[in-house]
Amino acid sequence: MSGAATRRVAITGCGTVNAAFVGGVPELSTYLEHPESRVRAEPSTEPGLVASVDDRALDGLTDAGDQRRVSRISRFAIAAARLALADADAPPEDLSLVVGTELGDLRSTKEFANGFLERGPTGLSALLFPNTVMNTMAAATAIAVQARAATLTLNAPVVAGELAIARAAAGIAAGRFELALAGGVDQIEPITELAAGGDARGEGATFLVLEPLEKARQRGARVFGEITGWGWRALNAPPCGVGRAEPPRAVLLALERAGLAGDAVRWVYDSATLDRERDDWERALLDVAFPHHPRRVSLGRWLGRHGGLGALSVAGAAWSACAGRLPALGGAMSADRGVGLVHGVARGGTHVALVVGAPLP
Amino acid sequence: MIRTVVTGLGVTSPFGAGTKAFWTGVAGGTCAIRPITLLDTDGFRCRIAAEVPADALAGSPRRSRADRLALAAAREAIADSGLARADCRDAGLVIGAVGGGMFEAEKWYWARTRGGAPVDAASSLRAVLPFSHAETLGKALSLGGPRETVVAACSSGAVSLALARDLIEDGLATVVVAGGADSVTRICYMGFNALRLLDPEPCRPFDRERRGMSIGEGAAFLVLEDAEHARARGAYVYAELSGYGITTDAFHPTSPHPEGDGMVRAMRGALSDAGIGPAEVGYVNAHGTGTPQNDRVEARAIARVFETGEPLVSATKSMIGHTMAAAGSLETVATILAIVEGVVPPTANLCAADPDVTFDCVPGTARTAAIDCAISNSFGFGGQNVTLVFRRS
Amino acid sequence: MEPKETVDELKSILVTRLKFEPRRAAEITLDTPLPKGVEGSIGLDSLDFIELSLAIEERFGVVLDESQDLVKHFATIDSLSRFIAAQAGGS
Repeated sequence: MSGAATRRVAITGCGTVNAAFVGGVPELSTYLEHPESRVRAEPSTEPGLVASVDDRALDGLTDAGDQRRVSRISRFAIAAARLALADADAPPEDLSLVVGTELGDLRSTKEFANGFLERGPTGLSALLFPNTVMNTMAAATAIAVQARAATLTLNAPVVAGELAIARAAAGIAAGRFELALAGGVDQIEPITELAAGGDARGEGATFLVLEPLEKARQRGARVFGEITGWGWRALNAPPCGVGRAEPPRAVLLALERAGLAGDAVRWVYDSATLDRERDDWERALLDVAFPHHPRRVSLGRWLGRHGGLGALSVAGAAWSACAGRLPALGGAMSADRGVGLVHGVARGGTHVALVVGAPLP
Repeated sequence: MIRTVVTGLGVTSPFGAGTKAFWTGVAGGTCAIRPITLLDTDGFRCRIAAEVPADALAGSPRRSRADRLALAAAREAIADSGLARADCRDAGLVIGAVGGGMFEAEKWYWARTRGGAPVDAASSLRAVLPFSHAETLGKALSLGGPRETVVAACSSGAVSLALARDLIEDGLATVVVAGGADSVTRICYMGFNALRLLDPEPCRPFDRERRGMSIGEGAAFLVLEDAEHARARGAYVYAELSGYGITTDAFHPTSPHPEGDGMVRAMRGALSDAGIGPAEVGYVNAHGTGTPQNDRVEARAIARVFETGEPLVSATKSMIGHTMAAAGSLETVATILAIVEGVVPPTANLCAADPDVTFDCVPGTARTAAIDCAISNSFGFGGQNVTLVFRRS
Repeated sequence: MEPKETVDELKSILVTRLKFEPRRAAEITLDTPLPKGVEGSIGLDSLDFIELSLAIEERFGVVLDESQDLVKHFATIDSLSRFIAAQAGGS
């Protein structure tokens, strides 16, 4: 399982259901060329700023069998996984699944508890109970796409998706995974007391298809990007709090793995989501790592904070590296091709960095 | 190639604080399943569980119960490993979790819905999500390496150890503190009641009269370390984590694949990863929940994998119940100590083995046996199968 | 309870607890097979039957003891309503 020579990690597909669009790499490219913010003030609910998915976006992506027993958040995940596999035109053999999520299916958990509180023990739903465990989206997706190798659900605030991609990339490189769907999913939760922080809440699911570069080329797959470096660590911060500016070691690890110096990074997809204290901390960390102030893109400001965001950022970085464009409100701008960084840091200190580049021979 | 060894153990179990109390309990075949005190059981058929005694919890009562179970176990594991503070600064932390701080969140939600004395929302919800354990432990123990929380239902604790081994093999960490923690929660207790999976009497894994599982709670953490690093600092090595297998049934949300396909692939994958054959395995610590379905399918899967060997098989859940996210790591501690002590803990409450059981389940009383290699099985909802392989180092 | 009422209650359970579309539930006849794997069935599996048992306990006060073989009673709406009537009458 391990000890094999390190393999290069190709991104061969993307599937997403988010507040702005549904689709694969073509739809992603169209959005990034002319992005718009889907974050809206929602005066009727406590979270305030939300970017929500219209459920009609799922029509045709999940079948009737999925509809009856599979919850809304799991349908997001299933739809994105199917779109990603179709986008990569990948035969789903020996398929692993790495799902990042921050909140899981709290909506089902609340409904399950309400069954008891309103009607007593016989009001409890056996069908809902499995959804109260956060691996429910991964379990439903594994069944839908027949992922029979390892299935992992990683739970983290803000950066769950980035972490899932980093985990999967390390797994492909080390030979633990042969084909991986990696990304994340969340939905906006009705328990408003959980939404403290005032940032933009998003929802939806995004998965990337990762596989060894050599195998991807052998099967004639379109290689959309390459993940050349990754690192994840914990920065010193209290639970739910932010820390100080310090050398961000996840970034240094990722650059070291990619064989790059810091000044090679010309742009960064960061994890800003309008949580001002956290966003300021991230900027301070990036300033320590990159005194040359590379340009920054924050997809979370337009699509809201959710588990799918990390995969969208990695896909965005691959697009930028290939197209030499950086998304901006009012129309994308030209930028250096080559390599960029995807960076995420959460309150509490979970910290992830990925180096993403255009595929080179 | 980097080898991963275990250099520290820490346990908070229904037997109380510490690895020693846990081992004395399981090696003695003592059943810790008793009437529930933490939850209202009115209207439910099963009213027993294996709860952790209050004096085994660490840290401030302001923390969640699950955080306090985890903190006690992780502190013990680090102290046991003899790691220096400098080693902790770069140590990774991987936690298998399910319920998080749900026990406290439920108190708030119940009070909000039913009225009664108001419970403060902010403090009740602060640590509700599974990742909260990692934030609490990471800060309290100053662990600055890679940090992950993995949710794999009933196999979460075992998955955390597999992921920790990846970090060490990939060179992302030299030392990782890893394990699982869960406290009893209303959601879990009510859910398994609704699924009709709880035995009103203490569970009886592999018994032909078994009627379901018992709920438990606890935490176990291990210090995993690059073998070279452990050797260089002269650390005591319990065993080597020499392989693992993780598979997915992709079959059903709650039921295992009827032929145990995923379980068999997990066991075979783990043995292959460890580079050993089934005949070398002396002991299987089974998932063994006591539900009719799990034990039947697992027994057949074990029989298929070990057709040429005759390992002893026992189920720790017969003594401490199903401790959810903690189960895989608590049972790993039992598996490792079986190798170290040369004693295989028994399956308690086993009177007459099920006809599907073709192996020795070590009924009632522990068995003295020289074990060089042992595996621990964990299977969770969502068809999440994990097998870990440990060898005498 | 009249047999027709029992049947209507069971169909309403299919909608509220087993999450069938109301239109789909209305199409189900007395003889439509329920268990998955039977030709023309509505595809209920073991987890659905547990849900159905809980709902039957709630609506009819009939406790289904899973240690007995209940599979034959779950064959169709007809067999299920007869079983419920027998249990309710017997208690």
